[in-house]
Amino acid sequence: MSANKILIVDDEEIIVRLLSMSLRSDGYETLAAYSGEQGLEVFKSESPDIVVTDIKMPGMDGLELLKKIKEINSEKEVIIVTGHGDIDSTITALQYGASDFINKPVRDESLAIALERAKAKIAIREKLKEYTENLEIKIAEATEEIRRKSNFQRLLIKSSNDAIVAFDHDWKVVVYNPEAARIFGETAKDVRNKMTIDDLYTPKIAKIFKNQAKIEKQENTFAWRENIINTKDGRQIPVRYNSNVLHEKGDFVGTVSFFQDLTEIKRLEKELVQSERLAAVGQTVSGLAHYVKNILIGLQGGSYVVDVGIAKNNTEKFKTGWKTIKRNIKRVGDLTRDLLTYSKQREPEFEDCQPNDIVNEVIELVKDFVGSKDILISKDFDNSIGEVVADPQTIHRSLLNLITNAIDACVEDEDTSKKHEIKVKTYMDNNNYFCFEVKDNGCGMDKDTQKQLFDPMFSSKGGKGTGLGLLVTSKLIEEHNGVIETKTSPGDGSAFTIKLPYEKANTVDIN
Amino acid sequence: MSQKVLVVDDDQDVRSFVVTVLEENQYMPLVAQDGIEGLEMIEKEKPDLVILDVLMPRGSGIRLYRKMKTDKDLEKIPIIMFTGIALRSFLKSQKALDEFKGGKVPEPDIYLEKPVEPEELVAAIKKKLG
Repeated sequence: MSANKILIVDDEEIIVRLLSMSLRSDGYETLAAYSGEQGLEVFKSESPDIVVTDIKMPGMDGLELLKKIKEINSEKEVIIVTGHGDIDSTITALQYGASDFINKPVRDESLAIALERAKAKIAIREKLKEYTENLEIKIAEATEEIRRKSNFQRLLIKSSNDAIVAFDHDWKVVVYNPEAARIFGETAKDVRNKMTIDDLYTPKIAKIFKNQAKIEKQENTFAWRENIINTKDGRQIPVRYNSNVLHEKGDFVGTVSFFQDLTEIKRLEKELVQSERLAAVGQTVSGLAHYVKNILIGLQGGSYVVDVGIAKNNTEKFKTGWKTIKRNIKRVGDLTRDLLTYSKQREPEFEDCQPNDIVNEVIELVKDFVGSKDILISKDFDNSIGEVVADPQTIHRSLLNLITNAIDACVEDEDTSKKHEIKVKTYMDNNNYFCFEVKDNGCGMDKDTQKQLFDPMFSSKGGKGTGLGLLVTSKLIEEHNGVIETKTSPGDGSAFTIKLPYEKANTVDIN
Repeated sequence: MSQKVLVVDDDQDVRSFVVTVLEENQYMPLVAQDGIEGLEMIEKEKPDLVILDVLMPRGSGIRLYRKMKTDKDLEKIPIIMFTGIALRSFLKSQKALDEFKGGKVPEPDIYLEKPVEPEELVAAIKKKLG
């Protein structure tokens, strides 16, 4: 829009007419008024862009008109026509907001310059207005876009199946989504902007993150790790987590971590192991049937011998038969127990116990059996093991199985020139495990046998083994977070080592 | 004098059963715990019959059976196989050994698969010893 409409106010009609003529020939549209009052009327009705007014007029003078106009619209340009040396009026006019002054008599050039200046001012003001308006629109648009984006991101974080937790550079929680609330059991209200990493995480995880932030100069991911989260309400949730250290222009600004709940996966894994185990039992029913058949043979033979003993009143026969029956009843018992142990999930029952004592018990138990076989059992115990927290059942049954196996390996050995010996040793290793080694110089195992050692229902003992012994042992050891190791050489014997995590018994009295 | 019957079996329960059956039927029982001990007893005692298990540590019944059937002095001694192993498996292993060593060992004429009733065992012994 160009400023084209000009109002000329002067009490001298001739001046108004001359100026109007001159301006019209320059292409302006002109309005005329011959007094301040009339000028104000025309201004109100026509709203000209520029007003040129004489300062001295009867009634409402130029200054009064200027003031009134500015009151109505401060953006209108008013050019004051003054006489020479009228400094006071000029200052007042300036105070009222006059845009320019021209002296009387009005010359065309000076009027043209003043008008151009006024027009330029109007143009700038309009431009400015346009910019301001545009800027407001743009800011509104940008604000809306930011709001939309941040809302979208908020929804993303909120709806994530991962628990997302972010910390600022002071380790205060700033992001904490609903899945995080579910895993940690603390509500977002209690956590966000209130808790620090030390309040929310276990000391172990907190330490990992803090160390990570120290080391990493760049934004960096670290590998997925697994851990257990203890929730506020006492649940234990297995999680897989990873974390990014966040930097902005090289400065550490925080970290973000992602947690995935593994409860369901762990449950499925457990189920899978369980079903594999059951399948293994099923698969090997024939091996089992063979073993049961041997027990049946024993029981039938035994009862025949007992019958003869009764009929002939022969106590010796009776005793022999009865022993056979009892031995086979025990075999049924052992088999049942092994099958149950193998097919069921069992948690070790930890208590304070003395591993060396347990080994002693087991050796006493097998001694009678060994006595008739000419096999020496020697002991080499590390007394520094002392009392530990462990499951005595696991130790007892594993050791019994390994020592029985060692005896069988000596019995089966075709080399009768050997003096057969079983060495049972306990010791502490360098990785904080307490260990049991059962070493024999019996028949040993070839590669094939060794490979199948921990397979279900594999037995190197023909019909005399259930094929469950080592399997049950390795399962017990695994459940106890231990390991079982084998060394063997055909003809020279075998050594089995069980390693269990060492935890010293808490012998402090509870008072 | 009653006839001598040797039981070769590593299973104590089986030995005491067979020994009792033999005693009840007026035979004179002899026992050996494995193939090696069995061969020693056969050579020393010259039994009238051998009751032989298959799966044993230290010299299996498969080996002892083969040894007896290929030895001029021992081949006439009758044998009753008395085992938990199926006949098919026993024949298979003998056949494999035939091919490996050459020659052919005759199949056992009495093969009893455990468990066996005492009467059945007695009938088998009587069939061999009359």
